[in-house]
Formats: sequence, structure tokens, C-alpha cells
Amino acid sequence: MPDTARSGRYSVFAIAREALRQHKGWNRAWASPEPRDRYKVIVVGAGGHGLATAYYLGKNFGITDVAVLDKGWLGGGNTGRNTTIIRSNYLQDPSAAIYDKALKLYEGLSQDLNYNVMFSPRGLIMLAQTEHEVRGYKRTVYANNLQGVSTEWIDAQRLKELVPIINIDGPRYPVLGGLYQERGGTARHDAVAWGYARACSDMGMHIIQNCEVTGVETEGGQVRAVNTSKGRIGCEKLAMVVAGHSSQLAEMAGFRLPIESVALQALVSEPIKPCMDVVVMANTVHGYLSQSDKGEMVIGGGTDHFNNFTQRGSWHHVEETVRALVETFPMIGRLKMLRQWGGIVDMTGDRSPILSTTPVGGVFVNCGWGTGGFKAIPGSGWAMAELVAKGRPGPLAADFGLDRFREGRFIDESVAAGVAH
Amino acid sequence: MAEHLARISPVTDLGMIALRGDLAAIADAAGMAAPDRTGIATDGPRSLAWMSPDEALLILPAPQTPEAVEALTLALDGQHALVADVSDARAVFDVIGPGAADVIAKLAPVDAAAMPQGHLRRTRMAQVATAIWRIEGGFRVIGFRSTGDYLGLILRNAAIAGSGLAPR
Amino acid sequence: MLILTCPHCGIQAEETELHNGGEAHLKRVGPDGSDEEFEGYMFARRNPRGVHLERWRHAYGCGKWFIAARCTVTLQVFGTYAAQTTTPPDHIVQAVRAARPDWNPTEEGASE
Repeated sequence: MPDTARSGRYSVFAIAREALRQHKGWNRAWASPEPRDRYKVIVVGAGGHGLATAYYLGKNFGITDVAVLDKGWLGGGNTGRNTTIIRSNYLQDPSAAIYDKALKLYEGLSQDLNYNVMFSPRGLIMLAQTEHEVRGYKRTVYANNLQGVSTEWIDAQRLKELVPIINIDGPRYPVLGGLYQERGGTARHDAVAWGYARACSDMGMHIIQNCEVTGVETEGGQVRAVNTSKGRIGCEKLAMVVAGHSSQLAEMAGFRLPIESVALQALVSEPIKPCMDVVVMANTVHGYLSQSDKGEMVIGGGTDHFNNFTQRGSWHHVEETVRALVETFPMIGRLKMLRQWGGIVDMTGDRSPILSTTPVGGVFVNCGWGTGGFKAIPGSGWAMAELVAKGRPGPLAADFGLDRFREGRFIDESVAAGVAH
Repeated sequence: MAEHLARISPVTDLGMIALRGDLAAIADAAGMAAPDRTGIATDGPRSLAWMSPDEALLILPAPQTPEAVEALTLALDGQHALVADVSDARAVFDVIGPGAADVIAKLAPVDAAAMPQGHLRRTRMAQVATAIWRIEGGFRVIGFRSTGDYLGLILRNAAIAGSGLAPR
Repeated sequence: MLILTCPHCGIQAEETELHNGGEAHLKRVGPDGSDEEFEGYMFARRNPRGVHLERWRHAYGCGKWFIAARCTVTLQVFGTYAAQTTTPPDHIVQAVRAARPDWNPTEEGASE
């Protein structure tokens, strides 16, 4: 099978056609070419954000001379390690703008990509379990409604109707109400990466896996090429989209980022019958819970409080998360946990991302999504593509530049993000 | 069914004086031997505990406290030192019984069974700060009074009969 | 579970008894510093994949600050030392080099 073949359009007719010929006509979803000598744009990082950046470079700006490099396999970093939550109920205007752009793109993403990303707008509730949170979330609701992001405050009774398995009068963590975003939900994380990869490949872009960037070549303050485990590859522009290892790539290009890397954990139970059709986040206790389409209860936990690249988390965080969730959801006390894993996340001081030009000409950085980058993938790619194509940020990325740290223009989402983005 | 692992009893008749400054001078002022690093030195009804490189804790019968504060303040006069009566800020429990080490080990990241006599370990129990040392038949635990109810609850819970750590 | 020995009290404390205070040996930039210098001091971090010198506080113990030399990839601990030092002491440098011969402690000052 030639590696440059287009994948072909997926449709009910394609399924019917293939059903009649033993499914021998399906092409690979994306090609695996050898790298060319140079590209107009190189995107480092074939996770959701990197692939979305490439996709919107092609779709919105007609730039298809693009390579997406990854040191491992496509979507094998945080794209494959998150808890798939999608929401846009942030406090600050720039955050609401980019996260809501992402949510709107998610709503039409399966059609746009011709690939089922299993977006499920099942609704999302952030539990208020202290008076402080009640006030905080009511404030967020007001802010969201001014931003045009529909969220509402719901009381504990309504919450109990939406989430029958919840215990609203726990002694330690009573549920006082919640911030409800009906449009929020989940999507299949791998499928988001696969869908973008397929669409990029179909536009003629190169997705090159197992290709580790080992150096960035500059000349006169301008990027010229990257050195990789598959040789030197020239480029006009370089987009760094490597959550968790942003500092390492920036160091190769000769600058530092206001980023520290920590491990964030998640775990998943054995599959059970459908019992909860919304996403529930409990930020006071550093835990969040949703049920996957396979029936597993997906649990997000806390971050380790030290720099860490191990992709494992500390065991006591699992204990803390589960101890609190068992009180709020007593039924999960009977569940066996199947897997536990960690991902390395970029943390910035204000818990907001960085989409920015850099001290090196032609180098752009997209990082710092902290514990909640998955929900932002389409909006992040959209804004990053504009930044790379035009060389300056558009309205979505304008407030997320690196200069905000020097100028003190922080986009403080430490409350909205908590640990549980 | 089996006995409780240990008996948890609140101790209410202790006074405590926090002392900061030069530890040798403090021990001198208290008229006691200076405790070793992480040690607790007992002399009759009084104990002097090493809390940090510049802090000691004098533990004594409650009625003697006001007088001791006065004497220490006088003795340390002119030196850079702090004498503070913290008795009311503390909650104290004795954990006595054959399973006392198990009770401690369940709650604190400490190998209680291997803890030597005369050693004071500052640590946490579940989610609150405590200090622990050996007494006759078990351990003495001090915590903050603001979390005293919680501390008593988790200690009693950890001592429930049949919940020993040894394989059954 | 990360276990560090507090150099002040000698206790082998585990992660839950400690509080992390971020990169060590940062040189404070005062009111005379430029915006760039202050930004660097406040935000720019080495965040290395490898040997990291970092501040810790023995929060549930003696309450004192110390510095740990630790690998962020393997979690190997090379040693701990009191926070009242401006550069890593010789025995720490030797302990790190025994495992990482290429490690260069002078780079630690580069974050000024």
C-alpha cells in the first residue's frame, strides 16, 4: 500500500461498499512518509494541539507544506493520557474566548474532519462543596453570561436529579450546589488526534513519528532547521507544541519559559453499567469523575507538587482523590480500579496557556495548558495556526503572549482551574 | 472478639511552653539537660523536647506552668529568645496497649515499632501535624487543639479491635 | 513516594511531610533590576529533565528549609543540604557526578 495514499472519505456508502468486498479497500488513515529536506512549517509535537495547528494552517491559511514531528507515537503524550473533559466555563475573558471557540469547534468537529471524535455534550457540573466555592462559582456564572458562554448555577436538589449517584449531604464534603455547563462533556481523546492526523495527511502534510528533535538551528536570530533523529530538516517557521517538555525544546532554541513540569494522574475503574451521564468535577477534593462509553468510571486526580518527568504520579494522590470521591459517590467504593497513569503537564504561574512569538525569529510556542489542555485542542490549533501563518497573534491568542509575565498582565485562572482544569 | 489495639485517652493535665532561641541557653534556663537532635529528655515530671534547631518544648504538669514561664522569661532576659505558654493550643492523647505501634503506623509515615525511647518524631497523622514519643506501654501524641477532635477520632478509629497490621 | 533526609533534623521524611519550594539558588532581583531581570527571577525556570536542585521545607517536622539534589526523570536523590548556601556544596557535586559524570554545577547559577 503506498504511503502517500489518501484515506478516502468515510461514509455509510463506503461501509456498504467495503462490506461487499471483505473490507479490503480501506486505506491507512494517514501516511508515514520519510521526511523531506525542508518544509515551510515544522510543528514539533503530534499530539492534539500540534496536529490541530497543522490542520488549521492548511484549512484556514492554505499552508500545506507542513511536517508534524513527534519523538514517540502520534497522540501518545498527554492527548492519550487526559480524562477527556471539555468545558469553557472559565472566569477571565481571554480564557472564555479561546476555550469557547474550542468547544464550538468540537461541536462540529466530527463533520469537519469526516472522523467520529465521539463528542458527547453530556453536560458538566463543578461541585461547590464550600461556601467559598459557592461564591466563586456564582461569580463565574455571571462572568460567563457576560461573555456569552451559557452556564448556570444549580442548587443541590437539581444537582441530585442530574446525578442520582451523588451523596449531597456528606459530613465532610457536602454538596451545596454547582456550576453547570450543559454544553460541556467529553470526546474520545485518541480519536481527536487520529481525526486531525488523517485530515492533515489527506492535505499532503507529513506526519513523522519516532522522530525526536535534538537541536534547533538558528542563523542571525532566525530559525533555519531542526536536527532530528532522522537528520536535519530545514524550515521557515517552527511551532513548538510539546506540552510537558516545552522547557527542553525552548532550551534547544536558546530561551527559557515560565514553565515547570509536574505529573498529573488519572485512574480508571472496571466497566460498569451506565450510572452517570454527566461529568462531575469536585475541585475542593482534587477529583473529577465521568463514565466513559465503555462504562469505566474515569477519575482524574491531583498533581505532584514537584518537578517531575516520570509519567507516574505519587501514590498518596490516588489515596487523597479516592478518599474524597468515595464520600461524594459512595457506590464507587465497590469498584476495582483497572489502571492508573500519569502525564507530564506544563504549569505556568497564572495557570493560563502561552501562545506566543519567542525571542527567536520564526519560532512560535504553544504550551502551558497545565492540567486542562484537551478541551482546548481545536481552539488552540485555530489560534496557533493564525499566529504561525501571520507571524503575529490574532484576537484569540493576543492575551496569551510571553510578554504578559514581564508586564504583569496575568490571566489568573488559578481558581477556575484549581488543580482540576 | 479481640481487644482494641490500644486504649486512646486524652491527657488534660499537661502544660507546654514553647522556647525559641539558643538551645543550650534554653536548657540552661530550664535547668535541664539539653536534648539531643530529635530527642526528648525527661527529668522527673518535666520533659524538654528538641523541636527544631532553634526550638524546644518544655512539657510539665499544668499547675507548674505559670511559674515556669516566669522563671524562664527571667532567666533568658537579655537574650534573643521566646518563651510562650502554648498549653491551651495543644491536644494530647496517650496510646497505650500491645497494638499501640500499629495505631501510630496506620496514621503516620513513621516506623513506630522501631522508634527508640527518648526520640520525639514530628510528623503528620492523616492530615494534621503531630509529635509522637514513647511512654510506658505505648506512645504519647500531641497535636493542635483546633484539630484535637479529629485527632481523637482517627486514633480511636485506628485502634478498632481486629484491625491489627500483622497478617491474620 | 519520594523520601528525603532533612539535613537539619536527620529525619527521613516522605513526600507528604514536605513542601516543595521550587528551584533553588535563584538570585533575587531587587528594585534596581530591569524588567527583564525581574521577569527572569520571578518566572524563567530551568525545569530540567535531569538533575534539579530544589528547595524543600520540612513542613510537618522541624519546619526548616533545605535543598535537595534530585533527578526529575528517575527520582534518584543525590543528597540534601541546608538552605543557607548559595551554591551546591562539594559533597553534593561529587554525589551527583558519581551518577552523572557530565553534570555541571556552574550551570546552576545561569538562572540569575
